[in-house]
Amino acid sequence: MRTDVRTAPQLRRDLERRGLDVSALGPVGVRPSLPKYISDLWERRHFIWMDSRHRITLQNSRNRLGNLWLILRPLFDAAMYFVIFGMILKADRGIDNFTAYIIIGVLMFRSTMQSLSQSPGTLRVGKPMIRAFSFPRAALPISAQLRESMQMVLTVVVMLAMIVVLPNHEIPRLSWLLVIPIFLMQCMLNLGVSLLMSRVGFILPDVSQVITVLSRVLMYGSGVIFPIDNYLTHPVAGAIIQANPIYQLLHMYRRVLMDGTAPTVASWVILAVWCVGILIIGFVFFWRGEATYGDEQR
Amino acid sequence: MATSSVEPRDGADAEAENAQASRWTAPESSPLTVAAHDLRVRYNVNRTDHSRKRGLIGLTPRTQRVSVGAVRGVSFEARSGEFIGIIGRNGSGKSTLLRVLAGLEAPNSGTVLTSAKPVLLGVSAALLPDLTGAQNVRLGALAMGLSPQQADDIFEDVVELSALGDAIDLPMRTYSSGMGARLKFAISLAADPEILMIDEALSTGDASFMERSRRAMDDLLERAGTVFLVNHAAQTIENMCSRAIWMERGHVVLDGDAVEVARKYRWFAHNLAQGNTSVANGLLMDARREGRDAQERDAQEDLTGFHRGQRTTTHPRRAPRHIRRGKDPGSNRADSAEAKTSNNLHDPSGP
Repeated sequence: MRTDVRTAPQLRRDLERRGLDVSALGPVGVRPSLPKYISDLWERRHFIWMDSRHRITLQNSRNRLGNLWLILRPLFDAAMYFVIFGMILKADRGIDNFTAYIIIGVLMFRSTMQSLSQSPGTLRVGKPMIRAFSFPRAALPISAQLRESMQMVLTVVVMLAMIVVLPNHEIPRLSWLLVIPIFLMQCMLNLGVSLLMSRVGFILPDVSQVITVLSRVLMYGSGVIFPIDNYLTHPVAGAIIQANPIYQLLHMYRRVLMDGTAPTVASWVILAVWCVGILIIGFVFFWRGEATYGDEQR
Repeated sequence: MATSSVEPRDGADAEAENAQASRWTAPESSPLTVAAHDLRVRYNVNRTDHSRKRGLIGLTPRTQRVSVGAVRGVSFEARSGEFIGIIGRNGSGKSTLLRVLAGLEAPNSGTVLTSAKPVLLGVSAALLPDLTGAQNVRLGALAMGLSPQQADDIFEDVVELSALGDAIDLPMRTYSSGMGARLKFAISLAADPEILMIDEALSTGDASFMERSRRAMDDLLERAGTVFLVNHAAQTIENMCSRAIWMERGHVVLDGDAVEVARKYRWFAHNLAQGNTSVANGLLMDARREGRDAQERDAQEDLTGFHRGQRTTTHPRRAPRHIRRGKDPGSNRADSAEAKTSNNLHDPSGP
């Protein structure tokens, strides 16, 4: 019988020995090199763009008000927090404009949480596409994130409008322009998180159960609805909070929007390290699993 | 032989001639497009006993993790211009094999080499059900790596092949399964794949679509493509393919000329359906032995260097069919007559 064949080069040699032309043959279902993968992704940019645009329209297509909900939802959220904290509880926790504080916190925190909680299911939801067409699978989390970011632009606009309209009114300042780079960094952070969590969720679907707990922890550890700056004096807790990218993110938004001053260099650096780091780790981690995403989940 | 007592019927002969007229014939020699070696796929799944055992044993967990072999050592080579049908009963590993060949699923062991990225057309993929057919066409084209310009160019062809008419602007969730399959088939062909794999997807189409899809596949084969067709209806394979692979419990039973293999399979399935399990088993054993012998003969030829260097076909034992579909029925007749003299070749669905 035939010689023992274990790898592609061996099979190639075996076929050649039998006088067959193997020049055109290459292995199938293997992951391409990282540069090739990135260029493949770039070739699919139209697909990513079209997919995310369609999904935005689709998710609201069964509602009567359709895409109006993209604006209405953050609007209602912000209004609700204003009514509860600003009018009923009249809480200020030592902050001049607690309404603005909490609106910025909740709306911006939620977008990163969306990436964290939705990304474990991305590959499961995209299964029909994975089964039907061959494309770099990273296109799916990237398209999901692109959609998320497009929605977030609307959320940011609503947020800015609300903190101007609601008392105590914030006045638009030049420093508000810094929202743009902070927003872009948040998008990068979200993309890194969703690439990472897509594969984690594919390997271990159970993580989506743990994420609700994790988001609760992050919510209290990032100063979303009440200030945690008092804890910064504690050496360990302070260091952890300082290193938390979401805390830094919200802190920077609030400084820019409420205090009218630029964030500190330390804030920029910590956030930038997180964004770039998570994005690279997430992308490489996702790429390494490329050949497995078509497998039957058992 | 277990079935040598059954006489071949004349009706089968005439029917075979009709079928021959539209069957695809592979070129005598052409380059390899797919080479698979010793593919094995196992699934680890939960198994739960449906019956509760009596006594204390009944209290032990009834669910355990078991390993199920779906594909158990499949090797073959395919050439361009070959139209290969894969037949076998439900659960014989046909679909799993296609998924592995297409690179969608990694085998536990074994190697697949292909000349191009295969396009697999399955029944399950619903694409995006809330998008209209037209939007799915564009999205699918872009997903396959076409530019927006190319996607526009192929759009009309896809709509025409799918024959959906005005329904193309309706959401895909409103489509019947046949309409969905038609659209997916049209999209898959639009990218002009070198290797196309079809998993039962066409069996939901109606007669007029079958004819159109057959023409489209012929075009693909003319352009030196390779087509794999999984279907549990052996008649379809017999009518369309040039070569057939019969799979049973993850193994290849027989690999060879479509008519020969499909008829043996049908006779086997017919006996099984009639409850003649022992006859069916005998047929299966015979076919398996025949398959093994053929493989060994191949290996022998390889070792002795038979036709080395000039041979590109992997099945020298089979009389080559030089003629294209329906051009030379005389030579086909000779072929099928020769086939008939070999054992147990009967048509269970004959008159």
